[in-house]
Amino acid sequence: MIRLEKVSSVTVIGGGVAGIQAALELANLGMLVYLVEENPSIGGRIIELNCSSCRLEVPMDCSICPVIPKIVECYHHPNIKILTNAEIMGISGSAGNFQINVLKKPRFINEDKCTACGACTEKCPVEIFDAFNMVKGRKKAIHFPLPQAFPQVPVIDRENCLHFRSGTCEKCSEVCPTTAINFNDEDMIIGVKSEAIILATGLSLFDPSGIREYGYKRYKNVITILDLEQMTSIHGPTGGKIVRISDKKEPKSIAFIQCVGSRSRRTNNNFCSGVCCMYTAKDAALVKILKPETEVYVFYIDLRVFGKGYQELFNKVRNSLGVKYIRGRPGGIWEDPKTRDLIISFENTLTQRVEKLRVDMVVLSPALLPHPNNRKLAEFLGLELDEHGFFKSPNPVSQPFDTTIKGVFTCGYCRGPRGISESATQASAAAGRVTETITLAKMGRN
Amino acid sequence: MEEGEETRKFEPKILAFTCNWSSYSSADQAGISRTFYPPNVQIIRVMCAGRVDPLFVVKAFLNGADGVIIAGCHPNYCRYSGGNRQAEIRVKFLKMLMEEIGVDPARLRIEWISAMEGGRFAQVVQEMVGELKKMGPLLLRK
Amino acid sequence: MSEANLNQEPRIGIFLCDCGTNISSIIDVPQVIEASKGISGVKFVERDSSLCSSAGTKKIRETIERSGVDRVVFAGCSPKNYGSLFESVCQKAGINRYLVAFANIREQCAWAHQDRPKEATIKAINTVQMAAARLQKSEPLQELEIEVHPSTLIIGGGISGMTAALCLANQGFSVLLVEREPDIGGMLNKLYKLYLTNQEVSEILNPVIQSVRNHKNIRILTSASVREVEGYFGDFEVTISVNGGTEKFRAGTIILATGAGTFEPFGMYGYGKHEGVVTQLELEQILKQGKLKHLEKVVMIQCVGAREEKGLTYCSRICCMVAIKNATLIKKLYPDCEVYIIYRDLQTYGKENEEYQSKARELGIRFIEYTPERRPEVFPNGNGKVGVRVYHALLGETLTINSDLVVLSTPLIPNADGKEIAKILKVPLGPDGFFKEAYMEMRSTAFGVNGIYVCGTAQGPKSIDESITQAYAAAALAAIPMQQKKVKIPAMTAEVNEELCIGCQLCLDLCPVHAITFAEGKSMVIEAICRGCGTCAAACPSKAIAVKGFKDEQILAEVEAALK
Repeated sequence: MIRLEKVSSVTVIGGGVAGIQAALELANLGMLVYLVEENPSIGGRIIELNCSSCRLEVPMDCSICPVIPKIVECYHHPNIKILTNAEIMGISGSAGNFQINVLKKPRFINEDKCTACGACTEKCPVEIFDAFNMVKGRKKAIHFPLPQAFPQVPVIDRENCLHFRSGTCEKCSEVCPTTAINFNDEDMIIGVKSEAIILATGLSLFDPSGIREYGYKRYKNVITILDLEQMTSIHGPTGGKIVRISDKKEPKSIAFIQCVGSRSRRTNNNFCSGVCCMYTAKDAALVKILKPETEVYVFYIDLRVFGKGYQELFNKVRNSLGVKYIRGRPGGIWEDPKTRDLIISFENTLTQRVEKLRVDMVVLSPALLPHPNNRKLAEFLGLELDEHGFFKSPNPVSQPFDTTIKGVFTCGYCRGPRGISESATQASAAAGRVTETITLAKMGRN
Repeated sequence: MEEGEETRKFEPKILAFTCNWSSYSSADQAGISRTFYPPNVQIIRVMCAGRVDPLFVVKAFLNGADGVIIAGCHPNYCRYSGGNRQAEIRVKFLKMLMEEIGVDPARLRIEWISAMEGGRFAQVVQEMVGELKKMGPLLLRK
Repeated sequence: MSEANLNQEPRIGIFLCDCGTNISSIIDVPQVIEASKGISGVKFVERDSSLCSSAGTKKIRETIERSGVDRVVFAGCSPKNYGSLFESVCQKAGINRYLVAFANIREQCAWAHQDRPKEATIKAINTVQMAAARLQKSEPLQELEIEVHPSTLIIGGGISGMTAALCLANQGFSVLLVEREPDIGGMLNKLYKLYLTNQEVSEILNPVIQSVRNHKNIRILTSASVREVEGYFGDFEVTISVNGGTEKFRAGTIILATGAGTFEPFGMYGYGKHEGVVTQLELEQILKQGKLKHLEKVVMIQCVGAREEKGLTYCSRICCMVAIKNATLIKKLYPDCEVYIIYRDLQTYGKENEEYQSKARELGIRFIEYTPERRPEVFPNGNGKVGVRVYHALLGETLTINSDLVVLSTPLIPNADGKEIAKILKVPLGPDGFFKEAYMEMRSTAFGVNGIYVCGTAQGPKSIDESITQAYAAAALAAIPMQQKKVKIPAMTAEVNEELCIGCQLCLDLCPVHAITFAEGKSMVIEAICRGCGTCAAACPSKAIAVKGFKDEQILAEVEAALK
């Protein structure tokens, strides 16, 4: 049995589902892990979603329940060092000896002292737009990140905070009972040495306002599926009720449009994001379960039901719950200026008829794109990216999570579209591969 | 005291057996998101809804509980593959027993609540308090 | 150091964290402290504002060591946040971690009842009383430490089994690879070329087979099968039948990589009746042997036998890509051949699959959509050939194609051995017949039972790269306990009191991980397998089973205290 005499260290870049899983597996395999995350908390996109799948009683990728305990585990694991609010400034070296320069931006709030009492958020005089919370729309310059974030420690929006703009306000720090707020915190540059790197930078959402004819951001009642997820969260601004942004009334009809900006040469995103068919089905089902009288339509091109339990869930959604599936990519959406209803113009390709459909609300499933940070990381490392920004592997069949550089591996969406389950599996796999590589290298040395 | 006054003053006592992996966390979630619910419920943590022995429920009623909730993972999601289903079977049996001895079976409730459904937990407690207030105290205490 | 002595009265210490103003602004903390001091057995009630901080944990340790208590209550935020941290701190201070209880007075009290501070205070007092009452009935527990043998049994020598074997062998673990067939290589032995890269399978397969054969840490048994598995995680005793005899192997972990079978569509679309109807796998054999004669029209039909209302309800994930690959190969051989793929929904998910599909369209491969309500029909076309009539759903027209060859894309099906292996290893199969993983989201290669993992198509249809990924993941999961050499099993396991056991065996059937055995008229729990769910204890008619740490007495004490 090969013993790793000196503890090896691995850096995982990205603290979403994949990053967290990779970090935990590596830590349990005896490695020292640096988990670098650009946001103030780890958890990634998954904690932005609404928990609802188990209500549908068909096993399928659920969002948050399995991940939260893992986030807590990450924080408490002696082998994992989490660097949040952190940006990679440069990487040099090679497999076995990477030097990574991390810029850790200050949070201004001492995580050890903060007790999440919320007094600071109450006293803050600055209200800012909350893109996340499109129904209420406002939050304070100092605010808690998502309710599912751990630890629950507030963050300060420096652009809008009065203290940072004009030095004229310290209300939050005055009222903090544990003096956790320190405006004098500074940037820190941390040099990390690692034998291997795992990239887990995840995804970003295509902005559907680029598809002008769908009216996103112009028509109030056209929202994205992420907006819907947040709205249906029972902790959200409407207590879980789905309402139209224009008049706060519950919609009697909702149309989901899939593949917005994807599988399209027009936007150059000619790939399939892999997960939208199923999460649209899930959310369509949720709408029906919450309010069975709602008319629900889904516009699709191909039904991607390739995973375990997917076809069965889809059958339930279409047959038992009565969601109407229409094959066709809508040509355009118009808004009725009086009622703010939406009129969708489309060709039903299975009947070859051009039709119009009037609905109260439209939900767009946008393309899921690789993270823009991939370009910078590719430059630092000399990695190859494909034309969309995904990391390339030397052979997509036999080396699915290697990159074109030795010692650097990927997991999750940054390599190509995949769902939660596959991302987590890839993360465990990458951890296994890294351990194998490091062990072999050590043997080579000996 | 008039009957109406007594009903108003009556605050039912509810015992909730919650599963460590799901409903216990949902109660936490309700608190985190400040979704208030009546303080009439006391929570006992078990590892699985399947741990809840019918004896516990009976003892709860005998000790003064007006209502009992057993909350576990959604079907198919039991970490121990089916403890929640066992709990469901036992609750059915208990309700039959309760009917026989003249205790309203609505005083026992089994719910599937996942870890993130804080609002649901609060809702269940709220509903039960309302129902129990109408039913009145159980008064089975020895 | 304070040791718990069962003959002595419990000596309880209470730490009350007011969490800054979080708790103290709602709950009358002094009142809670006063009331808690009055609980029998309580030696101190120590207040703090931030027990989770480094200063806080230091205080916990010092206070415990000073006071001589043998059990501790933490009243404050949810144990989900820092529960294990506090248990570790107590352990270091000499308190058995199973003599630590929690009173959740923040999330489940102060925060949830912020609108009713008076009642919240009363509830907080009650919650602390419940925790103390539980502790009165608690016992110190020792965690079982099991040694994990640094060896893995891998059942199945296909690409998944071999990949997992190499990953583990490279880390220094001993691997026994058991393969049913006379040769390793699995399904890939039957394939010709791979989609995405269009390379020959041998380019990927042969190096892996060579590495496996040459690796000093891997032993291969072919024409062999697993007969029996005894023991448990860390120390499985496996009996393998090989060469007309048996062999025994001691494994710390087991990985299932038994692969999948293929569906034979007899009676569908003329298969079995006409020569001109073959499956994709048969087509691959023909292509591999270079025996594909010139064709003018080829029709491939997707979802044959899959995605049905009854029977095989699932989508087999890879067939669309396999069809496109074989169509591409035919087009490259005979560019003027007309190739049609008749599909329901094209499962070319992701980025690379979509690109591969685009290239196929550019080559001139025609895609025709059909709906399950109007399926394609075949008709004899002379000389064993079969033609296809299909209602093109997007054109709204029926097309007749006088094909020379019809290729049926059929789903992967669960391995015929699946049921037997499931029984031998005591692992579950899902409703689709494939092995049922613990949960898809974060543990798609693990089972509920410790120490056994699954990867590849045994768990469900998937592509080669997905199988390789799962194989590495399963290897990582198996490596963790083997690397740690010893694993502590949480002590909250079930225990049978033989004197009370009446031998009804109800518990045996209920146990989800088959941790209970029956011998000489009595049940016995194998501690190393038990996961502590307690279903057996709740069912036992003679109260012979106790769950350590969650005994009836402890829970009933909480019930009583809750209702005082």
